[in-house]
Amino acid sequence: MLTLQSYLTLSAIVFSIGITGIIINRKNIIIVMMCTELLLISVNFNFIAFSHFLNDLSGQVFVFFILTVAAAEAAIGLAILVALYRNKKSISVSELNKLRN
Amino acid sequence: MMLLEIIFYSFASVLICASLGVILFKNPVYSAVSLILAFITTGLLWLLLEAEFLAIVLVLVYVGAVMVLFLFVIMMLNINIEEEKSGFTKIAPVAIFLGLVVAAELIALFWIQSEQFSGVASLSNSDLSSDNTLLLGTELFTKYVLSFEIAGFILLLAIIVSISLTLRSRKNVKKQIAREQISADPKQRVRMVDIKRGGN
Repeated sequence: MLTLQSYLTLSAIVFSIGITGIIINRKNIIIVMMCTELLLISVNFNFIAFSHFLNDLSGQVFVFFILTVAAAEAAIGLAILVALYRNKKSISVSELNKLRN
Repeated sequence: MMLLEIIFYSFASVLICASLGVILFKNPVYSAVSLILAFITTGLLWLLLEAEFLAIVLVLVYVGAVMVLFLFVIMMLNINIEEEKSGFTKIAPVAIFLGLVVAAELIALFWIQSEQFSGVASLSNSDLSSDNTLLLGTELFTKYVLSFEIAGFILLLAIIVSISLTLRSRKNVKKQIAREQISADPKQRVRMVDIKRGGN
């Protein structure tokens, strides 16, 4: 029997994998952005699961808006990344210390 | 009902393996392809939850647009993969511990008080599944129309910001400058010269 908890557990596992990926990665900002997408997708999963089991369409509308904002965020983030690479020739997280001192 | 469970658990295991692949592959291209697999699997799982429109939107927008953008940037930046491998294991135990703690907390939250969720599950019926796109569109254009406009504005903002961040004006390109052409004074450009007739 597929209950709400099955879907929520799956989404929690994906969410924790995304958090682990953000912490574990020190060398590549692109992987960090992909892990952000994983986090967003797991939250969307929660919204859709609740929308299905509570029989309320508002959750799906919210997922629609989250997808919009996530697409805009990915586009702007990648643009920042390209500008950063043009200036520093590196996208390593640990080398981004220009504001230090 | 048994078929649904088989579909759910097989796709859920594919989704978890693909998510692990995103963070474990050394090559960012493999990570991006693994994330594409995760998105497609998520879309298929959303079909199980009767969110057909959003499943299609997820595959079209994310796999078709956002992940292509990711792959494009990865291939354009020409990252040295060998250099990435160092410094990965130092912080890995802390990260894995934190991830396990987050997962354990969330899953314990869902399963300790499971009787509260069982009341939720009984409410499910097939009322929403009649025409998902029609219902979602009606909801979007009546109740959430202002939010819809704001979402469109956010997309416009993303276009402007990403163009203005990545635009660079090259030197040494021969092009017209219309402002200087229009404001040019004819007296400075053309000089009338009286040519004396040759004496003969």
